[in-house]
Amino acid sequence: MPGSELLSDPGTDGHAAGGGSARDSAAVGAGLDALDTPTTRRRPLWSRVLRTGVPPLVALVATLAVWQLLWSAAIWSEYKLPAPLSVWHEFTKVVASGEIWGIVWTSVHRALLGFAASVVIATPLGLLVAKVRVVRAAIGPLLAGMQSLPSVAWVPAAVLWFGLTDATIYFVVLLGAVPSIANGLVAGIEQVPPILPRVGCVMGAGRIDSARLILLPAALPGYLAGCKQGWAFSWRSLMAAEIIAVSPQLGTGLGAYLKEGSDFNSMPGVIAAIFLILLVGIGIELLAFRPVERRILRSRGLAVTT
Amino acid sequence: MTVTIATTHPHAQTPPRPGRDAPAARLTGVGKVFGRGADAVTALTGVDLRVAPGEFVVLLGASGCGKTTLLNLLAGLDEPTAGRVEVAARRPAVMFQEPALLPWLSAVRNVELPLRLSGVGRSARRQRAGELLDLVRLSGQANKRPHELSGGMRQRVALARALAATTNDGTTNDGTGGLLLMDEPFAALDAITRDFLQAELRRIWRAGDNAVVFVTHDVREAVRLGQRVVLLSSRPGTVVREWTVPEDHTDADRATLTEQITDRLREVISTHARV
Repeated sequence: MPGSELLSDPGTDGHAAGGGSARDSAAVGAGLDALDTPTTRRRPLWSRVLRTGVPPLVALVATLAVWQLLWSAAIWSEYKLPAPLSVWHEFTKVVASGEIWGIVWTSVHRALLGFAASVVIATPLGLLVAKVRVVRAAIGPLLAGMQSLPSVAWVPAAVLWFGLTDATIYFVVLLGAVPSIANGLVAGIEQVPPILPRVGCVMGAGRIDSARLILLPAALPGYLAGCKQGWAFSWRSLMAAEIIAVSPQLGTGLGAYLKEGSDFNSMPGVIAAIFLILLVGIGIELLAFRPVERRILRSRGLAVTT
Repeated sequence: MTVTIATTHPHAQTPPRPGRDAPAARLTGVGKVFGRGADAVTALTGVDLRVAPGEFVVLLGASGCGKTTLLNLLAGLDEPTAGRVEVAARRPAVMFQEPALLPWLSAVRNVELPLRLSGVGRSARRQRAGELLDLVRLSGQANKRPHELSGGMRQRVALARALAATTNDGTTNDGTGGLLLMDEPFAALDAITRDFLQAELRRIWRAGDNAVVFVTHDVREAVRLGQRVVLLSSRPGTVVREWTVPEDHTDADRATLTEQITDRLREVISTHARV
Protein backbone atom coordinates (compact mmCIF):
# COMPACT_ATOMS: atom_id res chain seq x y z
CA MET A 1 0.00 0.00 0.00
CA PRO A 2 1.83 3.06 -1.18
CA GLY A 3 -0.41 5.43 0.74
CA SER A 4 0.56 3.90 4.07
CA GLU A 5 3.87 5.69 4.35
CA LEU A 6 4.04 8.03 7.25
CA LEU A 7 6.39 10.44 5.67
CA SER A 8 6.12 12.06 2.36
CA ASP A 9 9.40 11.85 0.57
CA PRO A 10 10.30 15.18 -1.00
CA GLY A 11 12.21 13.36 -3.71
CA THR A 12 9.57 11.02 -5.00
CA ASP A 13 6.58 13.22 -4.45
CA GLY A 14 7.61 15.69 -7.05
CA HIS A 15 8.38 19.35 -6.93
CA ALA A 16 5.35 20.44 -4.98
CA ALA A 17 6.72 18.95 -1.82
CA GLY A 18 9.07 21.51 -0.46
CA GLY A 19 10.09 22.74 2.94
CA GLY A 20 6.84 21.65 4.54
CA SER A 21 7.33 17.92 4.16
CA ALA A 22 11.03 18.17 4.89
CA ARG A 23 10.16 19.87 8.14
CA ASP A 24 7.60 17.15 8.89
CA SER A 25 10.23 14.52 8.25
CA ALA A 26 12.67 16.28 10.58
CA ALA A 27 9.98 16.47 13.23
CA VAL A 28 9.16 12.77 12.90
CA GLY A 29 12.86 12.01 13.09
CA ALA A 30 13.29 14.10 16.21
CA GLY A 31 10.25 12.41 17.75
CA LEU A 32 11.58 8.94 16.93
CA ASP A 33 14.95 9.85 18.41
CA ALA A 34 13.35 11.10 21.58
CA LEU A 35 11.18 7.99 21.93
CA ASP A 36 13.77 5.39 21.02
CA THR A 37 16.83 6.68 22.82
CA PRO A 38 17.67 4.30 25.64
CA THR A 39 17.25 6.05 28.95
CA THR A 40 19.64 5.40 31.77
CA ARG A 41 18.75 6.48 35.22
CA ARG A 42 21.52 6.61 37.78
CA ARG A 43 20.54 6.03 41.36
CA PRO A 44 21.52 8.68 43.87
CA LEU A 45 24.84 8.19 45.66
CA TRP A 46 23.39 7.24 49.05
CA SER A 47 21.24 4.58 47.41
CA ARG A 48 24.21 3.09 45.56
CA VAL A 49 26.32 3.05 48.74
CA LEU A 50 23.45 1.42 50.59
CA ARG A 51 22.96 -1.23 47.92
CA THR A 52 26.60 -2.14 47.49
CA GLY A 53 27.93 -1.53 50.99
CA VAL A 54 25.32 -3.00 53.31
CA PRO A 55 25.01 -6.62 52.04
CA PRO A 56 28.72 -7.47 52.47
CA LEU A 57 28.69 -5.82 55.90
CA VAL A 58 25.73 -7.95 56.96
CA ALA A 59 27.48 -11.08 55.65
CA LEU A 60 30.62 -10.18 57.63
CA VAL A 61 28.72 -9.61 60.85
CA ALA A 62 26.81 -12.87 60.38
CA THR A 63 30.05 -14.80 59.84
CA LEU A 64 31.57 -13.32 62.99
CA ALA A 65 28.42 -14.13 64.95
CA VAL A 66 28.42 -17.79 63.82
CA TRP A 67 32.12 -18.02 64.59
CA GLN A 68 31.61 -16.57 68.07
CA LEU A 69 28.70 -18.97 68.69
CA LEU A 70 30.70 -22.01 67.57
CA TRP A 71 33.59 -20.94 69.76
CA SER A 72 31.41 -20.42 72.84
CA ALA A 73 29.79 -23.82 72.27
CA ALA A 74 33.34 -25.20 72.77
CA ILE A 75 32.89 -28.09 70.32
CA TRP A 76 36.52 -27.85 69.29
CA SER A 77 39.43 -27.09 71.56
CA GLU A 78 40.80 -23.59 71.75
CA TYR A 79 43.93 -24.30 69.66
CA LYS A 80 41.77 -25.48 66.77
CA LEU A 81 39.16 -22.73 66.84
CA PRO A 82 40.30 -19.56 68.61
CA ALA A 83 37.88 -16.81 69.59
CA PRO A 84 37.40 -14.00 67.09
CA LEU A 85 38.74 -11.63 69.72
CA SER A 86 42.06 -13.47 70.16
CA VAL A 87 42.59 -13.33 66.38
CA TRP A 88 41.84 -9.60 66.59
CA HIS A 89 44.46 -9.25 69.38
CA GLU A 90 47.04 -11.10 67.28
CA PHE A 91 46.20 -8.80 64.39
CA THR A 92 46.47 -5.60 66.43
CA LYS A 93 49.77 -6.88 67.87
CA VAL A 94 51.35 -7.11 64.41
CA VAL A 95 49.89 -3.75 63.48
CA ALA A 96 51.07 -2.08 66.70
CA SER A 97 54.60 -3.42 66.34
CA GLY A 98 54.72 -2.10 62.80
CA GLU A 99 55.76 -5.56 61.64
CA ILE A 100 52.72 -5.75 59.37
CA TRP A 101 53.94 -3.22 56.82
CA GLY A 102 57.16 -5.11 56.20
CA ILE A 103 55.32 -8.40 55.84
CA VAL A 104 52.64 -7.08 53.51
CA TRP A 105 55.08 -5.04 51.43
CA THR A 106 57.43 -8.02 50.95
CA SER A 107 54.60 -10.02 49.43
CA VAL A 108 52.80 -7.26 47.57
CA HIS A 109 55.87 -5.92 45.82
CA ARG A 110 56.83 -9.43 44.75
CA ALA A 111 53.33 -10.03 43.40
CA LEU A 112 53.25 -6.67 41.60
CA LEU A 113 56.67 -7.20 40.02
CA GLY A 114 55.76 -10.74 39.03
CA PHE A 115 52.43 -9.60 37.65
CA ALA A 116 54.00 -6.77 35.64
CA ALA A 117 56.56 -9.18 34.18
CA SER A 118 53.75 -11.62 33.37
CA VAL A 119 51.82 -8.93 31.48
CA VAL A 120 54.94 -8.03 29.49
CA ILE A 121 55.53 -11.67 28.56
CA ALA A 122 51.92 -12.79 28.11
CA THR A 123 50.71 -9.95 25.86
CA PRO A 124 52.91 -10.68 22.82
CA LEU A 125 52.49 -14.40 23.50
CA GLY A 126 48.70 -14.08 23.43
CA LEU A 127 48.82 -11.99 20.24
CA LEU A 128 50.99 -14.62 18.56
CA VAL A 129 48.70 -17.46 19.60
CA ALA A 130 45.59 -15.58 18.50
CA LYS A 131 46.87 -14.36 15.14
CA VAL A 132 49.46 -16.91 13.91
CA ARG A 133 47.91 -20.23 13.03
CA VAL A 134 51.07 -22.32 13.39
CA VAL A 135 51.83 -20.93 16.84
CA ARG A 136 48.25 -21.53 17.84
CA ALA A 137 48.32 -25.15 16.71
CA ALA A 138 51.67 -25.66 18.43
CA ILE A 139 51.17 -24.10 21.87
CA GLY A 140 47.49 -23.13 22.07
CA PRO A 141 46.32 -26.32 23.81
CA LEU A 142 49.40 -26.31 26.06
CA LEU A 143 48.70 -22.73 27.11
CA ALA A 144 45.08 -23.57 27.88
CA GLY A 145 46.14 -26.68 29.79
CA MET A 146 48.71 -24.74 31.83
CA GLN A 147 45.83 -22.84 33.39
CA SER A 148 44.55 -25.98 35.04
CA LEU A 149 47.99 -26.95 36.33
CA PRO A 150 48.34 -25.60 39.88
CA SER A 151 51.48 -23.52 39.84
CA VAL A 152 52.38 -24.85 43.31
CA ALA A 153 53.39 -28.00 41.42
CA TRP A 154 56.37 -26.03 40.09
CA VAL A 155 57.70 -25.12 43.54
CA PRO A 156 59.76 -28.28 44.15
CA ALA A 157 61.31 -28.08 40.69
CA ALA A 158 62.02 -24.36 41.10
CA VAL A 159 63.69 -24.95 44.49
CA LEU A 160 65.95 -27.58 42.92
CA TRP A 161 66.81 -25.28 39.99
CA PHE A 162 67.19 -21.93 41.69
CA GLY A 163 67.56 -22.78 45.39
CA LEU A 164 65.76 -20.77 48.04
CA THR A 165 66.04 -17.44 46.20
CA ASP A 166 63.75 -14.79 44.78
CA ALA A 167 64.20 -16.46 41.37
CA THR A 168 62.24 -19.47 42.65
CA ILE A 169 59.37 -17.26 43.76
CA TYR A 170 59.21 -15.23 40.54
CA PHE A 171 59.43 -18.37 38.44
CA VAL A 172 56.36 -19.82 40.16
CA VAL A 173 54.45 -16.53 39.94
CA LEU A 174 55.17 -16.20 36.22
CA LEU A 175 54.06 -19.74 35.46
CA GLY A 176 50.86 -19.04 37.35
CA ALA A 177 49.97 -15.71 35.75
CA VAL A 178 51.28 -15.85 32.16
CA PRO A 179 48.87 -18.54 30.86
CA SER A 180 45.85 -16.73 32.33
CA ILE A 181 46.71 -13.38 30.80
CA ALA A 182 47.64 -14.86 27.44
CA ASN A 183 44.48 -16.97 27.34
CA GLY A 184 42.40 -13.93 28.28
CA LEU A 185 43.85 -11.99 25.36
CA VAL A 186 43.25 -14.92 22.99
CA ALA A 187 39.64 -15.21 24.16
CA GLY A 188 39.19 -11.43 23.88
CA ILE A 189 40.41 -11.45 20.28
CA GLU A 190 38.28 -14.48 19.43
CA GLN A 191 35.17 -12.77 20.75
CA VAL A 192 35.56 -9.66 18.59
CA PRO A 193 32.50 -9.63 16.29
CA PRO A 194 33.79 -10.44 12.77
CA ILE A 195 31.94 -7.42 11.36
CA LEU A 196 34.37 -5.01 13.09
CA PRO A 197 37.57 -6.15 11.31
CA ARG A 198 35.49 -6.19 8.10
CA VAL A 199 34.52 -2.57 8.65
CA GLY A 200 38.20 -1.72 9.06
CA CYS A 201 38.97 -3.66 5.91
CA VAL A 202 36.44 -1.81 3.73
CA MET A 203 37.71 1.50 5.09
CA GLY A 204 41.18 0.53 3.98
CA ALA A 205 42.84 -0.17 7.32
CA GLY A 206 46.17 -1.96 7.01
CA ARG A 207 47.25 -4.75 9.36
CA ILE A 208 48.83 -2.43 11.90
CA ASP A 209 46.05 0.17 11.87
CA SER A 210 43.48 -2.58 12.07
CA ALA A 211 45.19 -4.12 15.12
CA ARG A 212 45.79 -0.78 16.83
CA LEU A 213 42.47 0.94 16.17
CA ILE A 214 40.03 -1.95 15.97
CA LEU A 215 41.22 -5.36 17.13
CA LEU A 216 43.01 -4.46 20.37
CA PRO A 217 40.38 -2.02 21.70
CA ALA A 218 37.69 -4.54 20.78
CA ALA A 219 39.56 -7.29 22.66
CA LEU A 220 40.14 -5.11 25.72
CA PRO A 221 37.34 -6.52 27.92
CA GLY A 222 38.61 -10.09 27.44
CA TYR A 223 42.19 -8.98 27.98
CA LEU A 224 41.25 -7.21 31.19
CA ALA A 225 39.40 -10.29 32.44
CA GLY A 226 42.57 -12.28 31.71
CA CYS A 227 44.68 -9.75 33.62
CA LYS A 228 42.33 -9.94 36.59
CA GLN A 229 42.57 -13.69 36.67
CA GLY A 230 46.31 -13.43 36.08
CA TRP A 231 46.62 -11.24 39.16
CA ALA A 232 44.63 -13.74 41.24
CA PHE A 233 46.83 -16.56 40.00
CA SER A 234 50.06 -14.69 40.65
CA TRP A 235 48.90 -13.83 44.18
CA ARG A 236 48.03 -17.42 45.07
CA SER A 237 51.14 -18.79 43.37
CA LEU A 238 53.16 -16.34 45.43
CA MET A 239 51.54 -17.52 48.65
CA ALA A 240 52.20 -21.15 47.75
CA ALA A 241 55.82 -20.37 46.97
CA GLU A 242 56.32 -18.35 50.16
CA ILE A 243 54.80 -21.07 52.33
CA ILE A 244 56.97 -23.81 50.87
CA ALA A 245 60.18 -21.93 50.17
CA VAL A 246 61.03 -20.41 53.55
CA SER A 247 64.51 -19.11 54.24
CA PRO A 248 65.95 -16.14 56.17
CA GLN A 249 67.38 -14.58 53.01
CA LEU A 250 63.90 -14.48 51.46
CA GLY A 251 62.55 -12.27 54.26
CA THR A 252 59.13 -12.66 55.82
CA GLY A 253 56.22 -12.29 53.45
CA LEU A 254 52.62 -13.14 54.21
CA GLY A 255 53.18 -16.79 53.26
CA ALA A 256 56.16 -17.10 55.58
CA TYR A 257 54.20 -15.36 58.33
CA LEU A 258 51.42 -17.91 57.89
CA LYS A 259 53.93 -20.76 58.00
CA GLU A 260 55.45 -19.25 61.17
CA GLY A 261 52.02 -19.24 62.84
CA SER A 262 51.55 -22.88 61.92
CA ASP A 263 55.08 -23.84 63.09
CA PHE A 264 54.48 -22.22 66.47
CA ASN A 265 51.06 -23.85 66.74
CA SER A 266 49.47 -20.41 66.96
CA MET A 267 46.01 -20.67 65.44
CA PRO A 268 45.23 -16.94 65.91
CA GLY A 269 48.42 -16.16 63.96
CA VAL A 270 47.39 -18.53 61.14
CA ILE A 271 43.92 -17.06 60.88
CA ALA A 272 45.23 -13.48 61.06
CA ALA A 273 47.61 -14.32 58.20
CA ILE A 274 44.80 -15.81 56.13
CA PHE A 275 42.74 -12.68 56.72
CA LEU A 276 45.62 -10.48 55.66
CA ILE A 277 46.12 -12.49 52.46
CA LEU A 278 42.41 -12.21 51.73
CA LEU A 279 42.41 -8.51 52.56
CA VAL A 280 45.22 -7.75 50.10
CA GLY A 281 43.44 -9.77 47.38
CA ILE A 282 40.15 -7.96 47.92
CA GLY A 283 41.90 -4.60 48.23
CA ILE A 284 43.70 -4.92 44.89
CA GLU A 285 40.51 -6.11 43.23
CA LEU A 286 38.44 -3.22 44.60
CA LEU A 287 41.02 -0.45 44.23
CA ALA A 288 42.77 -1.40 41.01
CA PHE A 289 40.74 -3.74 38.82
CA ARG A 290 37.15 -2.83 39.64
CA PRO A 291 37.36 0.87 38.63
CA VAL A 292 39.22 0.10 35.38
CA GLU A 293 36.83 -2.71 34.52
CA ARG A 294 33.76 -0.60 35.21
CA ARG A 295 35.08 2.19 33.07
CA ILE A 296 35.87 -0.06 30.15
CA LEU A 297 32.61 -2.00 30.33
CA ARG A 298 30.46 1.05 30.88
CA SER A 299 31.93 2.87 27.89
CA ARG A 300 30.86 -0.11 25.78
CA GLY A 301 27.42 -0.35 27.34
CA LEU A 302 28.26 -3.73 28.88
CA ALA A 303 28.19 -2.90 32.59
CA VAL A 304 25.02 -3.00 34.61
CA THR A 305 24.53 0.50 35.94
CA THR A 306 23.54 0.41 39.57
CA MET B 1 -5.90 5.00 -15.74
CA THR B 2 -3.00 4.31 -18.00
CA VAL B 3 0.45 4.28 -16.61
CA THR B 4 3.47 4.10 -18.78
CA ILE B 5 6.47 2.62 -17.17
CA ALA B 6 9.76 2.71 -18.91
CA THR B 7 11.46 -0.65 -18.83
CA THR B 8 14.82 -1.44 -20.22
CA HIS B 9 16.47 -4.77 -20.72
CA PRO B 10 20.00 -5.63 -19.83
CA HIS B 11 22.68 -4.41 -22.21
CA ALA B 12 20.52 -1.47 -23.29
CA GLN B 13 20.86 1.06 -20.52
CA THR B 14 20.77 4.78 -20.62
CA PRO B 15 22.37 6.62 -17.73
CA PRO B 16 19.71 8.70 -15.99
CA ARG B 17 22.10 11.57 -15.32
CA PRO B 18 23.83 12.03 -18.64
CA GLY B 19 26.68 14.37 -19.30
CA ARG B 20 29.44 12.44 -17.58
CA ASP B 21 31.07 9.67 -19.51
CA ALA B 22 33.01 7.49 -17.06
CA PRO B 23 30.64 5.27 -15.05
CA ALA B 24 30.93 5.11 -11.27
CA ALA B 25 31.08 1.34 -11.59
CA ARG B 26 30.91 -1.14 -14.44
CA LEU B 27 30.58 -4.91 -14.37
CA THR B 28 31.19 -6.75 -17.63
CA GLY B 29 30.30 -10.44 -17.85
CA VAL B 30 31.10 -10.92 -14.19
CA GLY B 31 30.96 -14.43 -12.76
CA LYS B 32 31.92 -15.75 -9.39
CA VAL B 33 32.41 -19.40 -8.46
CA PHE B 34 33.22 -20.46 -4.93
CA GLY B 35 35.23 -23.62 -4.45
CA ARG B 36 36.23 -25.91 -7.29
CA GLY B 37 35.48 -29.34 -8.72
CA ALA B 38 32.31 -31.11 -7.60
CA ASP B 39 31.78 -28.77 -4.65
CA ALA B 40 31.91 -25.60 -6.74
CA VAL B 41 29.03 -23.17 -6.18
CA THR B 42 28.28 -20.59 -8.85
CA ALA B 43 27.15 -17.43 -7.08
CA LEU B 44 27.07 -15.08 -10.07
CA THR B 45 27.17 -15.60 -13.79
CA GLY B 46 27.26 -13.18 -16.72
CA VAL B 47 26.39 -10.06 -14.76
CA ASP B 48 26.50 -6.82 -16.76
CA LEU B 49 25.80 -3.64 -14.86
CA ARG B 50 26.67 -0.01 -15.34
CA VAL B 51 26.23 2.56 -12.63
CA ALA B 52 26.39 6.16 -13.81
CA PRO B 53 28.03 8.80 -11.60
CA GLY B 54 25.54 9.99 -9.02
CA GLU B 55 23.01 7.30 -9.93
CA PHE B 56 20.89 5.41 -7.39
CA VAL B 57 20.67 1.74 -8.42
CA VAL B 58 18.77 -0.83 -6.38
CA LEU B 59 19.64 -4.50 -6.72
CA LEU B 60 16.61 -6.63 -5.92
CA GLY B 61 16.51 -10.37 -5.44
CA ALA B 62 15.49 -13.28 -3.25
CA SER B 63 17.89 -15.25 -1.09
CA GLY B 64 20.81 -16.78 -2.93
CA CYS B 65 20.89 -14.21 -5.72
CA GLY B 66 24.46 -13.31 -4.89
CA LYS B 67 23.64 -9.75 -3.79
CA THR B 68 26.25 -9.76 -1.08
CA THR B 69 28.81 -11.38 -3.38
CA LEU B 70 28.17 -8.64 -5.91
CA LEU B 71 28.70 -5.93 -3.30
CA ASN B 72 31.89 -7.61 -2.11
CA LEU B 73 33.18 -7.57 -5.67
CA LEU B 74 32.34 -3.87 -6.02
CA ALA B 75 33.92 -3.12 -2.65
CA GLY B 76 37.09 -4.87 -3.73
CA LEU B 77 36.82 -7.40 -0.91
CA ASP B 78 36.74 -10.26 -3.41
CA GLU B 79 37.89 -10.99 -6.95
CA PRO B 80 35.58 -12.21 -9.75
CA THR B 81 36.36 -15.57 -11.38
CA ALA B 82 35.17 -14.26 -14.74
CA GLY B 83 34.63 -10.86 -16.34
CA ARG B 84 35.74 -7.43 -15.22
CA VAL B 85 34.83 -5.13 -12.33
CA GLU B 86 35.72 -1.48 -12.76
CA VAL B 87 35.08 1.08 -10.05
CA ALA B 88 35.89 4.76 -10.50
CA ALA B 89 36.08 5.65 -6.82
CA ARG B 90 39.35 4.75 -5.19
CA ARG B 91 37.59 3.05 -2.33
CA PRO B 92 33.82 2.61 -2.30
CA ALA B 93 32.16 3.03 1.10
CA VAL B 94 30.13 0.14 2.46
CA MET B 95 27.19 0.13 4.82
CA PHE B 96 26.00 -3.15 6.31
CA GLN B 97 22.74 -4.42 7.72
CA GLU B 98 24.16 -3.86 11.21
CA PRO B 99 25.51 -0.42 12.06
CA ALA B 100 28.84 -2.09 12.97
CA LEU B 101 29.95 0.94 14.97
CA LEU B 102 32.93 0.57 17.25
CA PRO B 103 31.25 0.41 20.67
CA TRP B 104 34.05 2.16 22.56
CA LEU B 105 34.06 5.25 20.34
CA SER B 106 31.59 8.12 20.48
CA ALA B 107 29.40 8.84 17.45
CA VAL B 108 31.68 11.59 16.16
CA ARG B 109 34.80 9.42 16.59
CA ASN B 110 33.15 6.61 14.67
CA VAL B 111 32.47 9.00 11.81
CA GLU B 112 36.04 10.23 11.99
CA LEU B 113 37.50 6.74 11.72
CA PRO B 114 37.71 6.45 7.90
CA LEU B 115 39.23 9.94 7.77
CA ARG B 116 41.71 8.97 10.44
CA LEU B 117 42.68 5.83 8.52
CA SER B 118 43.40 7.88 5.43
CA GLY B 119 45.56 10.31 7.34
CA VAL B 120 43.33 13.40 7.54
CA GLY B 121 44.47 15.79 10.27
CA ARG B 122 42.65 15.97 13.58
CA SER B 123 40.91 19.32 13.23
CA ALA B 124 39.95 18.75 9.58
CA ARG B 125 38.39 15.38 10.33
CA ARG B 126 36.65 16.66 13.44
CA GLN B 127 35.06 19.39 11.33
CA ARG B 128 34.09 17.04 8.50
CA ALA B 129 32.59 14.53 10.96
CA GLY B 130 30.60 17.34 12.56
CA GLU B 131 29.19 18.37 9.19
CA LEU B 132 28.21 14.81 8.38
CA LEU B 133 26.51 14.30 11.74
CA ASP B 134 24.66 17.52 11.04
CA LEU B 135 23.58 16.09 7.69
CA VAL B 136 22.07 13.00 9.34
CA ARG B 137 20.50 15.25 12.02
CA LEU B 138 22.59 13.91 14.88
CA SER B 139 24.74 16.91 15.74
CA GLY B 140 23.38 16.90 19.28
CA GLN B 141 24.43 13.29 19.87
CA ALA B 142 28.05 13.60 18.70
CA ASN B 143 29.55 12.58 22.02
CA LYS B 144 27.23 9.71 22.79
CA ARG B 145 28.43 6.15 22.55
CA PRO B 146 26.59 3.71 20.26
CA HIS B 147 24.86 1.94 23.16
CA GLU B 148 23.30 5.25 24.19
CA LEU B 149 21.64 5.64 20.78
CA SER B 150 18.58 3.96 19.28
CA GLY B 151 18.86 1.50 16.39
CA GLY B 152 17.83 4.09 13.82
CA MET B 153 20.27 6.65 15.19
CA ARG B 154 23.10 4.10 15.09
CA GLN B 155 22.33 3.35 11.47
CA ARG B 156 22.43 7.09 10.73
CA VAL B 157 25.84 7.32 12.38
CA ALA B 158 26.88 4.40 10.16
CA LEU B 159 25.55 6.33 7.16
CA ALA B 160 27.56 9.41 8.17
CA ARG B 161 30.63 7.20 8.54
CA ALA B 162 30.07 5.69 5.10
CA LEU B 163 29.71 9.19 3.65
CA ALA B 164 32.99 10.14 5.33
CA ALA B 165 34.57 7.11 3.69
CA THR B 166 33.39 8.13 0.20
CA THR B 167 35.37 11.34 0.44
CA ASN B 168 38.29 10.19 2.47
CA ASP B 169 41.17 10.56 0.06
CA GLY B 170 41.28 14.34 0.41
CA THR B 171 40.83 14.81 -3.34
CA THR B 172 37.07 14.89 -3.08
CA ASN B 173 36.07 17.34 -5.73
CA ASP B 174 37.26 15.68 -8.89
CA GLY B 175 33.71 15.86 -10.21
CA THR B 176 32.88 12.15 -10.12
CA GLY B 177 31.57 11.72 -6.60
CA GLY B 178 32.00 8.55 -4.62
CA LEU B 179 30.32 5.18 -4.62
CA LEU B 180 28.23 4.07 -1.67
CA LEU B 181 27.40 0.37 -1.36
CA MET B 182 24.53 -0.50 0.94
CA ASP B 183 23.79 -4.09 1.94
CA GLU B 184 20.17 -4.15 3.19
CA PRO B 185 20.96 -1.35 5.63
CA PHE B 186 17.41 -0.91 6.93
CA ALA B 187 16.33 -4.55 7.05
CA ALA B 188 16.83 -4.88 10.82
CA LEU B 189 14.87 -1.74 11.75
CA ASP B 190 11.22 -1.41 12.73
CA ALA B 191 8.79 -0.21 10.05
CA ILE B 192 8.43 3.39 11.25
CA THR B 193 12.16 3.92 11.60
CA ARG B 194 12.80 2.25 8.24
CA ASP B 195 10.29 4.57 6.59
CA PHE B 196 11.99 7.62 8.10
CA LEU B 197 15.47 6.42 7.15
CA GLN B 198 14.41 5.78 3.55
CA ALA B 199 13.25 9.40 3.31
CA GLU B 200 16.48 10.56 4.93
CA LEU B 201 18.60 8.52 2.54
CA ARG B 202 16.78 10.01 -0.46
CA ARG B 203 17.34 13.51 0.92
CA ILE B 204 21.01 12.94 1.65
CA TRP B 205 21.66 11.28 -1.70
CA ARG B 206 20.03 14.24 -3.48
CA ALA B 207 22.17 16.68 -1.53
CA GLY B 208 25.43 14.98 -2.56
CA ASP B 209 26.99 13.59 -5.71
CA ASN B 210 27.54 9.98 -4.67
CA ALA B 211 26.36 7.02 -6.70
CA VAL B 212 24.53 4.44 -4.59
CA VAL B 213 24.23 0.70 -5.12
CA PHE B 214 21.56 -0.45 -2.69
CA VAL B 215 20.75 -4.11 -2.10
CA THR B 216 17.34 -5.16 -0.82
CA HIS B 217 14.71 -7.88 -1.06
CA ASP B 218 11.87 -5.43 -0.43
CA VAL B 219 10.19 -4.37 -3.70
CA ARG B 220 8.49 -1.32 -2.19
CA GLU B 221 11.76 -0.09 -0.76
CA ALA B 222 13.43 -0.62 -4.14
CA VAL B 223 10.80 1.38 -6.03
CA ARG B 224 10.75 4.12 -3.45
CA LEU B 225 14.49 4.65 -3.33
CA GLY B 226 15.98 3.76 -6.69
CA GLN B 227 16.20 5.53 -10.01
CA ARG B 228 16.74 2.11 -11.50
CA VAL B 229 15.71 -1.28 -10.11
CA VAL B 230 17.73 -4.31 -11.22
CA LEU B 231 16.14 -7.71 -10.60
CA LEU B 232 18.54 -10.58 -10.02
CA SER B 233 17.72 -14.27 -10.33
CA SER B 234 18.89 -16.77 -7.75
CA ARG B 235 21.45 -19.59 -7.84
CA PRO B 236 23.30 -18.48 -9.84
CA GLY B 237 22.62 -14.76 -9.68
CA THR B 238 22.30 -12.90 -12.93
CA VAL B 239 20.43 -9.84 -14.15
CA VAL B 240 16.86 -10.77 -15.16
CA ARG B 241 15.43 -7.39 -15.96
CA GLU B 242 15.69 -3.72 -15.10
CA TRP B 243 13.14 -0.99 -14.59
CA THR B 244 13.73 2.73 -14.64
CA VAL B 245 11.66 4.50 -12.02
CA PRO B 246 10.27 7.74 -13.47
CA GLU B 247 11.48 10.80 -11.57
CA ASP B 248 8.08 12.45 -11.19
CA HIS B 249 5.88 9.42 -10.59
CA THR B 250 2.69 9.45 -8.60
CA ASP B 251 1.62 7.04 -5.90
CA ALA B 252 -0.39 5.14 -8.51
CA ASP B 253 2.63 4.78 -10.79
CA ARG B 254 4.59 3.49 -7.92
CA ALA B 255 1.92 0.96 -6.97
CA THR B 256 1.74 -0.37 -10.55
CA LEU B 257 5.49 -0.63 -10.84
CA THR B 258 5.74 -2.36 -7.47
CA GLU B 259 3.10 -4.86 -8.55
CA GLN B 260 4.82 -5.52 -11.84
CA ILE B 261 8.20 -6.08 -10.22
CA THR B 262 6.68 -8.26 -7.52
CA ASP B 263 5.03 -10.45 -10.15
CA ARG B 264 8.32 -10.89 -11.96
CA LEU B 265 10.13 -11.62 -8.72
CA ARG B 266 7.53 -14.27 -7.86
CA GLU B 267 8.01 -15.84 -11.26
CA VAL B 268 11.77 -15.96 -10.76
CA ILE B 269 11.40 -17.50 -7.31
CA SER B 270 8.85 -20.11 -8.43
CA THR B 271 11.16 -21.45 -11.15
CA HIS B 272 13.28 -22.83 -8.32
CA ALA B 273 10.42 -24.99 -7.05
CA ARG B 274 10.26 -26.95 -10.31
CA VAL B 275 13.89 -28.00 -10.28
